[in-house]
Amino acid sequence: MRKIVVPGEVITTERKKTRDHVFIKEGKILSDCVGLLNEKPDSVSVIPLGGRYVAQENDIIIGVVVHEVFSGYLLNINTHASSFLAKRDLDFLLKLGDIVSVKVISVNELREVDVSFPRGLNGGEIIDVSPVKIPRIIGKEGSMLNVLKNGTGCVVVAGRNGRLWVKDGNTVLLRETLALIDRESHTDNLTDKVTKFLEERKPKEKKTSAKEIAPKSESADEVEKGMDN
Amino acid sequence: MARSDGRKNDELRPIKMEVGVIPRADGSAYVEWGQNKVFAGVYGPKECLPKHTASPYKAVLKYIYRMATFSVPDRKNPRPGRREMEISKVSAEALESAIFTEKFPNTAIEITVQIIDSNAGTRVAALVAASLALADAGIPMRDLVSAVGVGKANGELIVDLNKEEEDAEDAVDIPVAVLSNSEEITLLQMDGLLTKKEWEKCADLAIEASKKINEMQKEALLKKYECKNKEGN
Repeated sequence: MRKIVVPGEVITTERKKTRDHVFIKEGKILSDCVGLLNEKPDSVSVIPLGGRYVAQENDIIIGVVVHEVFSGYLLNINTHASSFLAKRDLDFLLKLGDIVSVKVISVNELREVDVSFPRGLNGGEIIDVSPVKIPRIIGKEGSMLNVLKNGTGCVVVAGRNGRLWVKDGNTVLLRETLALIDRESHTDNLTDKVTKFLEERKPKEKKTSAKEIAPKSESADEVEKGMDN
Repeated sequence: MARSDGRKNDELRPIKMEVGVIPRADGSAYVEWGQNKVFAGVYGPKECLPKHTASPYKAVLKYIYRMATFSVPDRKNPRPGRREMEISKVSAEALESAIFTEKFPNTAIEITVQIIDSNAGTRVAALVAASLALADAGIPMRDLVSAVGVGKANGELIVDLNKEEEDAEDAVDIPVAVLSNSEEITLLQMDGLLTKKEWEKCADLAIEASKKINEMQKEALLKKYECKNKEGN
């Protein structure tokens, strides 16, 4: 299992490329947060175990409309400032409280965010999770997310800003599973643990209802494929 | 000469630290230091209000140190007094050198520390708790801030004065906050009179003691993930 480091902990005195969450001081490479050490032969980074969402270009995130101006909408994206979505990028109208998934187009030096490529998400609900756990919830090439979708029968769209839009299926079980991932995100073989957890809790009747919901989950896949553009 | 509670001159009071105690805060910590009991909660980086106090170059730190009215033998007036305002100011400055505030322009990081039981050395206990809470919140820092009180009482140079020692006739109280890796001091106050040689000895005692505190802080942060660690290993 990866080693957990704390702020100011010396990782190495070798010369390596520095990536996320490390800094150099007096020839040593140190961690700047509590996280999992990711040391490779030629580079070093730390995967944080906590922290708020920091917007980066090309992130797919989930926003909620909080204000309308003449030229666009202001979306709450779980950062300190709202983000702006231009009306000319939309071919449908939004109203206060609507949920959309968008892509981050630009982030300025004040961390103000412009977004585009909106996809409307109708109905459903938002589940908030810690943004640093989202990569674990998605998994390698979406593997963990698929386990969650199949195991609970929910339509799930994951946003990098710590929001999951979910619809239909067993959302209660999904929340329990997310709590499990949150607790154990720093351990190995999490996908197997989650698969086992869902298998144990899946009553036989639910298997047929999962198949009935299957056609709808295809449209969610289309939404996701569209967003990956 | 033995101290009133039987400790050696460089011995700290019993200390307990726990992280993640306030679920709704972004980061939190609870520290028991001797009789002191301190809660710290961190919220942010978030929108900086009032807006005219925001900085386009860095995050603004708001450190709020308050003592509960029941934390001392004689009821303390809940209105923040000069002492609390001063402690808040110097503690914010102590933490600012450790946090990468330039990574979060236009935001505020709010650190609220509440003392619920007080027996000398609350400002250093508060800083230690605040530092843990900041790390728990995932806010990038150069180092954990470790703090300890050193000074003189009854003719001896000692570490971690308790209330009795603070009230001694020749008492000198020196709270110190240190960035352990680099041994840089980020908070230094003194209340009393010392010779230069005495001060130099106190400075060494402070740096040594702060390293012990730093180890405890590190343990407390790792303890949150400990049970899972054992499973994995």
